[in-house]
Amino acid sequence: MNKTLIHADAIGRSYAQGEAQVAAIVSATFLLKEQDRIAIIGRSGSGKSTLMHLMAGLDVPTSGTLMWPELGAPDTLLPEQIALVFQAPSLLEPLTVSENVALPLLLANFTGDIAAAVRAALATFHLQELAHKLPEELSGGQMQRVAMARAIVGNPRVILADEPTGQLDQPTGHALLDALLVHLAGTSTALVISTHDPLVAKRMNTIWQMDQGVLKTNVTSIEAV
Amino acid sequence: MIKIWFAGLMRERNGRLLGAAVGIAVTIAMLAALGAFLAQSNASMTQRAVAGVPVDWQVQLVPGTARGLVSDAIKKATAIATVQSVGYADVDGFEAHTGGTVQTTGKGKVVGFDATYLHDFPKQFRLLIGSMDGVLVAQQTAANLHVTVGDSVTILRPALPPVIVKVGGVIDLPNADSMFQAIGVPAGAAPQAPPDNVLLLPLSEWQSLFDPQAVVRPDSVRLQLHVGLIHTHLPHDPLAAFVAVHGAEKNLEIRIAGKGLVADNLAARLDAVRSDALYARVLFLFLGAPGALLAIFLTVAVVASGGTRRRRDQALLRIRGASRRQILQIAAVEAMFVGLSGAVGGLVLAEILSRTLLGVSVFAPAAFYSTIAAVSMGILLAQAAILVTAWRDAQQTTVAAARMTGRDKRYGLWLRTGLDFILIGLAAVIFWKTWSTGYQVVLAPEGTPASSVDYVAFLAPVLMWMGIGLLTTRLCLVGFQRGKRFLALGLQPIAGTLSGVVSAAISRQSNRMTQGIGLVALAFAFATSTAIFNTNYHAQTRVDAELTNGADVTVTGTALAPASAKLKELKALPGVLAAEPMQHRLAYVGTDLQDLYGIDAARVGEATRMSNAYFANGNAAKTLALLQQTPDGILISEETVNEFQLQPGDLINLRLQNSNDHQYYVVPFHFIGIVREFPTAPRDSFLVANARYIGQMTGTNASEIILLKTSAPPAQVANAARVIAETLPGAKVTDIGEAQRLIGSSLTAVDLDGLTRLELGLSILMVASATGLILALGLADRRRTFAILSALGAKPRQLGAFLWSEAALLFLVGSVIGILTGFLLAWMLVKLLTGAFDPPPDHLLVPWVYIGLLVMVALISVALAVMGSLRETRIPAVQRMREL
Repeated sequence: MNKTLIHADAIGRSYAQGEAQVAAIVSATFLLKEQDRIAIIGRSGSGKSTLMHLMAGLDVPTSGTLMWPELGAPDTLLPEQIALVFQAPSLLEPLTVSENVALPLLLANFTGDIAAAVRAALATFHLQELAHKLPEELSGGQMQRVAMARAIVGNPRVILADEPTGQLDQPTGHALLDALLVHLAGTSTALVISTHDPLVAKRMNTIWQMDQGVLKTNVTSIEAV
Repeated sequence: MIKIWFAGLMRERNGRLLGAAVGIAVTIAMLAALGAFLAQSNASMTQRAVAGVPVDWQVQLVPGTARGLVSDAIKKATAIATVQSVGYADVDGFEAHTGGTVQTTGKGKVVGFDATYLHDFPKQFRLLIGSMDGVLVAQQTAANLHVTVGDSVTILRPALPPVIVKVGGVIDLPNADSMFQAIGVPAGAAPQAPPDNVLLLPLSEWQSLFDPQAVVRPDSVRLQLHVGLIHTHLPHDPLAAFVAVHGAEKNLEIRIAGKGLVADNLAARLDAVRSDALYARVLFLFLGAPGALLAIFLTVAVVASGGTRRRRDQALLRIRGASRRQILQIAAVEAMFVGLSGAVGGLVLAEILSRTLLGVSVFAPAAFYSTIAAVSMGILLAQAAILVTAWRDAQQTTVAAARMTGRDKRYGLWLRTGLDFILIGLAAVIFWKTWSTGYQVVLAPEGTPASSVDYVAFLAPVLMWMGIGLLTTRLCLVGFQRGKRFLALGLQPIAGTLSGVVSAAISRQSNRMTQGIGLVALAFAFATSTAIFNTNYHAQTRVDAELTNGADVTVTGTALAPASAKLKELKALPGVLAAEPMQHRLAYVGTDLQDLYGIDAARVGEATRMSNAYFANGNAAKTLALLQQTPDGILISEETVNEFQLQPGDLINLRLQNSNDHQYYVVPFHFIGIVREFPTAPRDSFLVANARYIGQMTGTNASEIILLKTSAPPAQVANAARVIAETLPGAKVTDIGEAQRLIGSSLTAVDLDGLTRLELGLSILMVASATGLILALGLADRRRTFAILSALGAKPRQLGAFLWSEAALLFLVGSVIGILTGFLLAWMLVKLLTGAFDPPPDHLLVPWVYIGLLVMVALISVALAVMGSLRETRIPAVQRMREL
């Protein structure tokens, strides 16, 4: 029986804009369990990124209840329990590939063999030869693979990827996803990917749809959307 | 588009615009205030020089020329305040019968002047005894003839019978050099020592005695016109004033060609001062220029610290179709705004600083050109810093290139060629050459003092400054690239497990870090060297004044009424720490009459500073101990030692006046050492011996001088001492403050107080800016880094590790290198200026309190910058992630 990692009950998130309140998320109710593979689809501005931030504990809902039953308090989720991947380049420019990948372990005060963990993560995405390169020497696809390696290096319980293939061509994006799914196969890690790419969405077990701030978790197929 | 962009800049980048404008403002303020100060000091040097000239022009008439003719020509040549006739007659000598003996002098001069002369030229004579009406005898002549007021002197006229006159007063001739100068003789052609024997008569009496002599010996009688010019129209600048006065003199020469010769004392004085002024200008620029340069570097750094953002902005503009020309137009508008607002702020700041610290206005007519130059330079700097950077970026910018880390790909040409070592080597060679040859800035041989500035000598500290700057850059670059492990180890206490990543991040941004460290080091070097130099300069000004005055307060009596009669009362005055008597007698060394000072070698140092530089062996304690152990020992000035070829241990016989019969008797002394300078002593020839021995040999222990060391303000003690000294006829009380104001145009007479305050204040500001501002702006530029780190789960404490590590490195390395460099530069400067200090300092004085304050300010500034940036880490991570 897969354990529930994140439980959201009618959560909402609104922002003050002048005197008015703008709702980024009107209502979202869901359960995220171990081994889940979920794609979140929806138009730009529909609230996908905000939902990701709420799930990562980076933001707090303004209504409803959000819990991480198996993961702990919101301020302890990153980087041990949850890892984030972004659409835009997110590597630290002055650090090499291996140093970037090692960062979550260092931030988590990891006591094991950091070098071995980094080597393994780089190998997952075939990045061994780029270990000592700087981000400025990498292509966009390589940078995103490094970001993925950084996400998996600490074996998090949840990976939240916000349009990770958005700036990549389809074959590169799919290759990246392939490598990630192969790595996660057999692990209890849950994967949530927000995407505009139907082919990426189809690779996931479940599809959620964000529509004007409302999360629909009962989407049967991408074609239906 | 430009309008929209500029509005956006004002809204979103106002902090950076303000930072750049403040940098420009500080640069302008520094330059404008410095310029105003230079203009003011030049003006005061001119004023002081002009006031110090007793007679502006001396016009010697060719025999037979009518006085009125030349007088008219003078009035046409320039605006004059007064003109007086003075007669000069050469005589075979003087004779006096006193105490049953006859004293006869060698050749002498008799001067005739009108009763109103003293009113017009009051500095020419100083009355010692008697009255100014009637016949006056110069002090040395009176001593030679053993005459005083009421005695008779016979004037031995050539080819005419002698005449007898009665002495009405004894005077001192403080300006004998110029008064008896040989007019029309090329400078340096012949020795122009003033005559030893001088008698002065009322003009009418002089005419009655020497008009007949002019008939029989026309070559022995001359008439001069002494002219006082109107000084109010003279330009402020010594050079311009010299040109004006010299021009008028040339004009007069043409007008009176064949009728007279002109000695232009005022132009000669201004000529000497213009060299001093030039020297002062070099010195001020040397002290001020690094400050201005630093302000420029800081401004460039402030502008450059926004480089990453600007490059990204530019790249995005290019992508959206903006042409290079449009991008440069935008930058030009930004630069013009920064330049103009900096100029306005700079002028306001300069005026406030100049008025409060220097007592001058940057808007004064004298400072007009320097202020315009400072403002122009500030506006140009803004253009250069912003526009040139934008132009360079526009050559190659893409979004990807905009995110380059700035990691060094190759060493610069200067690094490969070892320019830093070459510069330091050159500096060392020049310094050694200058120092070993005993470079003297102000040459003061016999006769008219002259200045000589060896500008090459100043290259030594300048080259050293540049060399150390480049060497620091080399060491930082190499250290960051090769010493990552050591850096990580060093940063472990601050960064903990992140120390490796932090050191790697710092190392790969070696250019930025090196620039930061370089700026901090430069700021510290400027502040430290300025503070040390100014401290020593200030101390030397006081030592110089103490040497001239003798002590904090000096009571000078006469042989008849010695100051030692009031020793007990003076000692008991409130605020007096020590009172020490000192004899001042006259002694014949061969035929030369020299000043002899009798001291208690063990105690004289209690009342006045005994500098090592006073003695040729460089050791005051040792020399005074030797004098104390040798009762008949004598210290002799270098000039006399050379003239008489004396060796230590030589027996020398001086002739001293006995107090009982006023006759001169031989007194033997043993030469034990060379004295170069001594409190109250003249610069050239004098002697120092034990007061007890002099007392025994002359029949009186009385001391003419009392030196007072005070704990209360010297002027206050001097006032009290004057009340006590009132009962001593002819006694004079002077304090060190008066001496400080009266010292001629020597370098240390230039008042650096205002400049010091300005420089020390700005130094603190610059150290604070270099550390805090640069750090804060650099950190603000890395919001993206913090956004990524936050998204990865970094806690505020971990973000702080990056900040504190960088700050610690910047502060520690920069301040240590800077302070050490400051010490080295100040030491070099003081050593180079040894000749200008009178006497030179024994050791370098270090203003530890100020340096401690600098370090504190830098620490506070760093802490504020880091804490300000840490506040940013408290912004919710989700907000920071918008930076991604």
